[in-house]
Amino acid sequence: MANPIVALRAYRDGLHLIIRPHLSIAEVEEAIQQEISRMNRSLAGTSVQIVLKCPALEEEDISLLRSKLQETYDLTVRGVEVADAPVLAPIAAAPTMHTISPATDSRDSRDGEISRVVPHTLRSGQTEEFPQGSLIIYGDVNSGSEVRAGGDIVVLGTLRGNAYAGMNGRLSAVIIAMDLAALQLQIGNYVTRPTVNEKPRGYPEIARIGAEDVIIVEKFVKF
Amino acid sequence: MGKVIVVTSGKGGVGKTTSTANLGTALALLDKTVVVVDADVGLRNLDIVMGLESRIVYTSMDVIEKQCELSKALVRDRRVDGLMLLAASQKNNKDDIQPEQMKAICDKLRTTHDFVLIDSPAGIERGFSNASAGADEAIVVTTPDVSAIRDADRIIGLLQNARIEPINLVINRFSPQLVGNGSMMDQADVLDILNIDLIGIVPEDSEVITSTNRGIPLVYEDASAGAQAYMRIARRLTGQRIPIPDFEQKGLLNNIMNWFKKKK
Ligand SMILES: Nc1ncnc2c1ncn2[C@@H]1O[C@H](COP(=O)(O)OP(=O)(O)O)[C@@H](O)[C@H]1O
Ligand SMILES: [Mg+2]
Repeated sequence: MANPIVALRAYRDGLHLIIRPHLSIAEVEEAIQQEISRMNRSLAGTSVQIVLKCPALEEEDISLLRSKLQETYDLTVRGVEVADAPVLAPIAAAPTMHTISPATDSRDSRDGEISRVVPHTLRSGQTEEFPQGSLIIYGDVNSGSEVRAGGDIVVLGTLRGNAYAGMNGRLSAVIIAMDLAALQLQIGNYVTRPTVNEKPRGYPEIARIGAEDVIIVEKFVKF
Repeated sequence: MGKVIVVTSGKGGVGKTTSTANLGTALALLDKTVVVVDADVGLRNLDIVMGLESRIVYTSMDVIEKQCELSKALVRDRRVDGLMLLAASQKNNKDDIQPEQMKAICDKLRTTHDFVLIDSPAGIERGFSNASAGADEAIVVTTPDVSAIRDADRIIGLLQNARIEPINLVINRFSPQLVGNGSMMDQADVLDILNIDLIGIVPEDSEVITSTNRGIPLVYEDASAGAQAYMRIARRLTGQRIPIPDFEQKGLLNNIMNWFKKKK
């Protein structure tokens, strides 16, 4: 059942931790704990945006939440915003950089795994498949082409075609592109259709399976 | 030794035949010797666009079947010196010709003419392999829309696999108005995807349809924007360095608007 006080939602810019009206900050902490334990995968190393759908919190409550999330769950707070209240400025400054780490578990060790480099653009109708490991494309993956890898897919150009990472079921696989403009992404058995932007974003993005078992796409900084 | 250039696109109706007829004529007007070859066996129309329909006696099929000499099958265009057409058979289909047979014809024509332009049929099957079999270079024609571009991209991949090089791009039916109001891709968007050299942009021009119907290639009357664009491309094919005019430039106001659009 949905938690009445907090909700974790995956959005295109990453995870949102939504906080609704509550009686005390202790109640919020408890709700966060319930909500996170409900997830069947670790969120460690991820970042969250706190979205307040409740009366503004005290500065000290925010810093309490911030350190609690960091220490207990290894979740970095990207920023805090007040939902549906555009007049109010965000009450805490957002850290501009955050670190993303894929949800790797010990079964997913990549020691000794090989990668394949594709030293050119993939054009419509061309496919590249590498079940044994990761694929790195030195070029674009154009619309109408397809890349599939057992591990990760890294596109050092524009990804417009279909990308399928973790094709053998590895859910920790990620897709990274300098310009992620794909209409469809697949990781393991999860599929997503990212929103398409008219103009390139101007920064690399990463797609991976996040909370609530959906593929999230966010700015890629570094692991 | 002349150059054999295949004019191709993947998608139909984007202007391969129009481009072949106009570039062939334009090259002849520039004093080159040219043969335009219709490789669209079964659906030929280069002869109509060139206005030579009534003069065709033999086709490439007759040459392959040794019914006549290659030189006899070439139809001379009387309006300009040095321009010939090799027609395609209308009663056969694409599988009746082998790529090696087309290549043999191209290899012969190359020894007697400066340029051999091959009008490719749409598609990626046998018709395309026949058309490109004897080619040294390629001109890929696309219109600025996503489906034509995707097909052009597919064709470029096949041409690259066949080691045909260079591959030059013609963007046809370009409309500065539509680009201006944001409903057509601009040149940069097209090149960003296809990433090959641009040899010219042909604007949308109603004269093209008139000239097609009259069987007189546009370049004979050089007033229209389309004719001038084809003349410039022909000059570039002969090695002249001619800048590509900026069709998008339409005064200061528009530039400022575009600047704001890009900023968003
Ligand atoms: N630049 C242009 N402006 C307007 N109409 C054009 C232009 N180029 C081609 N057309 C028209 O588009 C249609 C298809 O052209 P065609 O050359 O036969 O294409 P393809 O050989 O690729 O199938 C024809 O009716 C032609 O007159
Ligand atoms: Mg045609």
